[in-house]
Amino acid sequence: MNIYVGRPQIAAAKLQHHVIYVSDLKRSKDFYMKLFDLQFSALNHPDSSAAMRLSNQEMHFFSFGFYHHDLCLVKHHKLKMDNNSMLHFTLVARDGAAFDGIRARTATMGIPVREGRLIASAKTLPGQRAFCLQDPDRHWIEIIEEPRQ
Amino acid sequence: MTAAPYVPPNVIPPPLQRVAPLLKRKWFRELVLLPPTLTRRRFSNKTEDYGVFKPSQIDHIGQLSIYVQDIERSRRWYEQLGGLRHSRTCELEPHPFKPGWTIRCCYMSAAKHDECLVLVEERDPAGKVTVPSGMSFFHTAFEVQGNLLEDSLGFAAQSKAAGFRPNYGPVRHNGEPPLGDGETGGNVASYYYDPDYNNVEFCAAMDTIENYSARYGDTKSSARA
Repeated sequence: MNIYVGRPQIAAAKLQHHVIYVSDLKRSKDFYMKLFDLQFSALNHPDSSAAMRLSNQEMHFFSFGFYHHDLCLVKHHKLKMDNNSMLHFTLVARDGAAFDGIRARTATMGIPVREGRLIASAKTLPGQRAFCLQDPDRHWIEIIEEPRQ
Repeated sequence: MTAAPYVPPNVIPPPLQRVAPLLKRKWFRELVLLPPTLTRRRFSNKTEDYGVFKPSQIDHIGQLSIYVQDIERSRRWYEQLGGLRHSRTCELEPHPFKPGWTIRCCYMSAAKHDECLVLVEERDPAGKVTVPSGMSFFHTAFEVQGNLLEDSLGFAAQSKAAGFRPNYGPVRHNGEPPLGDGETGGNVASYYYDPDYNNVEFCAAMDTIENYSARYGDTKSSARA
């Protein structure tokens, strides 16, 4: 008997982590760690993980500093990644200083940026700042500073 | 005659989906990892080697936009399976980086996360909706309300009763029986393909930095005996 049936639906509370394909793990790992200070939290490899062996993939896990992983980079060892199933993802800066710091790092790292939100119909809250950039695999990343409540 | 629907190359074939629950058995994982064991290439998923000891510049993921072929179909799927709420659907607008192309956006919200997901129909200059490739991201994950092990299991049970079949799970991404599949993170998870084969995880109870601190203090594994 399913004890959960008939109870209120357990729904999604929030977007928690995202796992993107990359073509060069080292290049992307350097990029994300240098630009955002992401913390490398685990490595699952076909020589260490049965699931990765069965799926021909290698996954590098990164934490924003609270959860075990928030963003993961995956290399598929047989298939080629592309940019045709995701338009963008947004990373919310820890605070205003972090937003400014990331922006300054893009300049030092020679990363071109685009001002404002990526999608014209996306909400822009009063006082919110945003800019966009592309990672080494041309995934679009939007950086925003959420106004304090 | 209609064309066969596109199935991305990374979709787990149904026979493998049926075998996948065996990953919760240590003997099966050992069998799969026999080649690297015999050739001495095997190593462990040493999560503790990469302990998280300081915050990054990022607080959380704010939004994700994914391509879909039919906003209404996808909207129903996310509402019925994930309990997401429809916030708004916009008129056609210029594609942000493909001149001559257009997009139509449907904004979906989770219980504690406003407009976290954007379902995007992309149209080429001739007005034809494109087919998502499935090869930009492996999966995306929502945390379920409550964020306890039993909440994730409850989500899986309710979804099954509603007719949704996971491609993997429920499992726990650690080595602890009976749910552990030998992976890392500690999250209790079930994975489902949306109508465009975007792989979506619903999870709870992921390990946190506090877990590491409780176990190991501030000492990295390289400095431990």
